[in-house]
Amino acid sequence: MSATVPATDLVTVTIDGIDLQVPKGTLVVEAAKLIHRDIPVYCYHPKLGPAGLCRICLVEIDGMPKLQIGCNTPVADKMVVRTLSDKANEGRRAVLELLLLNHPLDCPICDKGGECDLQDFAMAYGQGASRMIDAKSSKPKAVDLGPTIVLDEERCILCLRCVRFDDLITHERSLRTDDRGAHAIIATATGHPYRSDFTGNVTELCPVGALTSKTYRFRSRPWDNHRTTTTCMQCSVGCQMHVDGRVQQIARTMSVEEDDAISDGWLCDRGRYNIGYVTDDGRLTSPLYRQNGEWIQIGWDDAIELWANAVRDAIAADGAASVGAIGGGRLLNEEAFLLQHVYRALGVENLDWRAGRMVRAWPGPLPIRGHHAELAAADVVITYGVPPAQTAPVLDLRVRKAVANGATLISIGDHLASAVLPCVRVATFADAVKRIPSGAKHVAIVWDGIEVADAHAIAAWAGALDHATTTFRLYVPGEQPNAFGAEAVGMLPRDGGLDTRGMFEAARDGKLRALALLGVNPVLHFPDRELAIAALRATPFVVVSELFMTETAELATLILPACSAFEKTGTTTDLAGDVLPVSAAVPSPESTLADGDMLVALADLLGIALPAPAALDATIRELAAATPQNPPLPAPDGAPRAIASGETLRVIVEASIFSGGGTLAHDDRLGELRLTPRARMHPASAAAFELEEGDAIDLAGPERVRLDGLTVAFDTHVPEGAVAIVAGVPAAPANALRGAVAVTIAAKRRAAEAGVLA
Amino acid sequence: MASPVVEILTKGIGELNLRDIDVYRSTGGYVQLERAVKELGQKAVADECTGSNLRGRGGAGFPTGRKWSFLPNNGRPRYIVCNCDEAEPGTFKDHMLLEQTPHQIIEGILIAAYAIGCHHAFIYIRGEFQDGFEIMRDAARQAREAGIIGKGIFGSDYDLEFTIHRGAGAYICGEETGLLNSLEGKRGEPRLKPPFPAIKGLYGEPTVVNNVETLAYLPHILKHGAAWFASVGPERSPGYKVVSISGHVKKPGNYEVPLGITIRQLIDECAGGLRDGRTFLGVQPGGGSSACLFEEHLDLSYDFDTIAKAGSMLGSGAMVVFDDTTDFVKASFALIRFYAHESCGQCTPCREGGSWIEKTLARIIDGRGVPSDIDVMKSACHQITGLNLCALGDSIEPFLGSVLDRFEGQFRAYIERATPVPERVAV
Repeated sequence: MSATVPATDLVTVTIDGIDLQVPKGTLVVEAAKLIHRDIPVYCYHPKLGPAGLCRICLVEIDGMPKLQIGCNTPVADKMVVRTLSDKANEGRRAVLELLLLNHPLDCPICDKGGECDLQDFAMAYGQGASRMIDAKSSKPKAVDLGPTIVLDEERCILCLRCVRFDDLITHERSLRTDDRGAHAIIATATGHPYRSDFTGNVTELCPVGALTSKTYRFRSRPWDNHRTTTTCMQCSVGCQMHVDGRVQQIARTMSVEEDDAISDGWLCDRGRYNIGYVTDDGRLTSPLYRQNGEWIQIGWDDAIELWANAVRDAIAADGAASVGAIGGGRLLNEEAFLLQHVYRALGVENLDWRAGRMVRAWPGPLPIRGHHAELAAADVVITYGVPPAQTAPVLDLRVRKAVANGATLISIGDHLASAVLPCVRVATFADAVKRIPSGAKHVAIVWDGIEVADAHAIAAWAGALDHATTTFRLYVPGEQPNAFGAEAVGMLPRDGGLDTRGMFEAARDGKLRALALLGVNPVLHFPDRELAIAALRATPFVVVSELFMTETAELATLILPACSAFEKTGTTTDLAGDVLPVSAAVPSPESTLADGDMLVALADLLGIALPAPAALDATIRELAAATPQNPPLPAPDGAPRAIASGETLRVIVEASIFSGGGTLAHDDRLGELRLTPRARMHPASAAAFELEEGDAIDLAGPERVRLDGLTVAFDTHVPEGAVAIVAGVPAAPANALRGAVAVTIAAKRRAAEAGVLA
Repeated sequence: MASPVVEILTKGIGELNLRDIDVYRSTGGYVQLERAVKELGQKAVADECTGSNLRGRGGAGFPTGRKWSFLPNNGRPRYIVCNCDEAEPGTFKDHMLLEQTPHQIIEGILIAAYAIGCHHAFIYIRGEFQDGFEIMRDAARQAREAGIIGKGIFGSDYDLEFTIHRGAGAYICGEETGLLNSLEGKRGEPRLKPPFPAIKGLYGEPTVVNNVETLAYLPHILKHGAAWFASVGPERSPGYKVVSISGHVKKPGNYEVPLGITIRQLIDECAGGLRDGRTFLGVQPGGGSSACLFEEHLDLSYDFDTIAKAGSMLGSGAMVVFDDTTDFVKASFALIRFYAHESCGQCTPCREGGSWIEKTLARIIDGRGVPSDIDVMKSACHQITGLNLCALGDSIEPFLGSVLDRFEGQFRAYIERATPVPERVAV
């Protein structure tokens, strides 16, 4: 560290007889870590800063009559600190005795037992027995704090890490202390359930067993867990994650505290808790072939042969243009590479990773790819389209950090970038650019990758920017975790190949004979649900690799049961272009195969040579590091945005980490988190259509498109005259609207008179 | 016997309606403020106040001028907050000043605000002081109508906004950073220091928090000069002080005296002495948070340094006198229960230690004490002191510690009379 700090800013401090030089202002607790002297802490946390509450970090400092707290004492030059002196140890013993006075000794049934700081420090510094002979005070136990968290008030030592996390990191301020003195307890500020995209982090911050996850309570003991470190495959942020397995099942996932570069040590609740699907009864465990309208179980050899023959026959009959493959955004880099490698070897160019609304994971040859940590240092953050708060929560924590440090947050269009921090909403990109304060040095744009015109506007603006005075970073959080990797390894059509829409249109018109869909569910996510369904119905051979019988798999000819991201090993690429390791944490169910293994078998049958593993790895890293040489973006269609009239409502399609049909729909324990179909509206627009909160409505658009069964919810953040619908909710998929921009209310039911159509 | 009682702040109380701005002005009120803003200028006012060696009358006794000098010249707005959250057990001087001489307090606040270059002053009034709040509100309205609060005070170019804020009933909000949190609308709990309020106080800006009585002396210091105040009493602890005397005396009440007279004088010459036929056992010299002093201390000089040297503190200047009818077990319990009840619960020693000792004393009084309680309490007193985030936690122990040493027999008597209970070994 001294290499980067000028010598004048260093001070010399002596800790337990060891001299060390540290930058001025370093806290004693942090300085001590440099010599591997861990001063015990409860309330202090490097990411939350000092709070001075628990008083366990007492140290003796020469020249100071009283013990000092190491967490809020910056080192001074020539300071002599004793962390293990008799006096310091006596102070810690005293604090531990006090902390344990009313703490229940239920360690044998406590989830934290074995990894509890109170247990550990009581062993190291405590006195063994309490001198209090009165009854311990009793407080509420097993308090249901919300959909994910249970709180044991008796175990709580009031370090307030959870409250401070919810204040300083998420800025949501849902948690607080109620009552005072010995009666103080943790509660939600509103009395309503603790809901946030980040609740799981408080269970890790909790130094004792007070806050526990519903998904992990009483399921395992830390010493029985077998830990694997991997990359979370739920979104494109690429958070590093520990997977703790017990008897070959996933017991829980934990953040990687040292992962400063990507996750900053946090996980979102989708990434953390969506693990139950791995052992769900709905997992596909055998290849299924449709014969005479019935699914029959077949063996893997037959399945791959069917696939190989279908592709070979189609090419022989109608040429390579009659074959296509879609997938890659949910696959590993290696798998996505193999997919395009095998198909290109056959001359197929109908290749695309895109199965949803995104047009590009990376818009073009702009060398301005931002890294996660840089986002927190921005002076201005502009979100263009669906904001990262809805698609990439942990990246959004960097946005919140930037805004808390004084950055200006601007969101463009209908979406609001933040409901918790100050945010300017403007109509167009040109308006956003005007709002950039003069003197801003670091501008970050987070684009949702959906509208082509946005990318052109960003590119034009960035091209005119004076890069000598202003740095500019672009972030494109994808709909799929490995969108960037799939695109980098070549899962985009070249040389006249068709993109996904092109393939679907060709298929609908009877021009496609064989289509492979690997890890995609276009029936739920492709913006035109009717087209996707028509295309799959019209294609003679559709092979789908999936974990579950999804909307798309139901329309397949052949279904291949795939491994989940916890069951295979390889790499994925995050939105910043980092190639990150994915490691198998648990064995895959019998009769499932990783998509990569399916492709290897397919290549074998088709006689296609594959690159050696080492060469493949080098190729992937090279492709991810290079500025993607993607085909240029098409020109924007220039069609003006339709404006809702007095009779219609404008449709805003939003995203959520708690929508989706696959892993989330098949996780029993997350039922409370799954979104129900809702139509969020400004109360004024609801009033104009004589709607009340809780009413059930059906929407109708042009060309007879319909979306039925939405519940009206009021939200003043939704612009007037609009209705906001979250994409990917299986019970009411927004893609059924086929991109309709204006809808009418086709039917409504009062909440009170359920079942009766008005 | 010549009474040491003087009338500086207390002049006119009980005789004149000093709540009326005209009456207050007829006694020379607001003259010093006008002089300050029109003649003296900011530096001269600050120098005069600093030169008086006035020490804070709220409890800590910190030199007022030095506190002001910590404000950084960073061009940021700065605030002054008058702490009128008087809740220290035994203290009732600010209560009287608030209800009797609100204009004197306003004048003091405005002089201090002017001296430090602040344009928005606050007074934080204890929630229970309903009458005091109404009186202060009326006084502030009168002052505003008279052009004393607001834009261009006394026709000068000095502007000052003045806000009255009521507490919601928590002792901890008398702690200056707890007060600032409460004033900002947050939970009233002390902040971690450093940073101190002078650097980062109200709304994150440099802030001075001064006690009511401290500020009320400022007009008088300007009137008579710093030397007048500094020459009274001990050099390092000079001036006058309103002392609230309560407990086993004939005439409990507020007495304004020069610092440096003896404790015995305060009890005998001010408060009329003990009740007839009673003997003196002890006295708390500075409110509920101060350790008890005993017979051998009666002739000590009543000033900040001497009382501190004797192992107690002058605190807010609230003397509670105990005669030989005192049950120190119950007296300790009453105080400990107060501190345990008022603990904000943030930091471990105060939260856990206070309730531990409260439980122990309750059990002793209930006749279920055990012999080891004495040593455990002594040890617990020791281990909760000096480790806390704020001064409240350090206020739990002094009284109990001092009377436990001196009157251990009273505690033992409770325990010996106790119904024997098996001494359970807790783990």
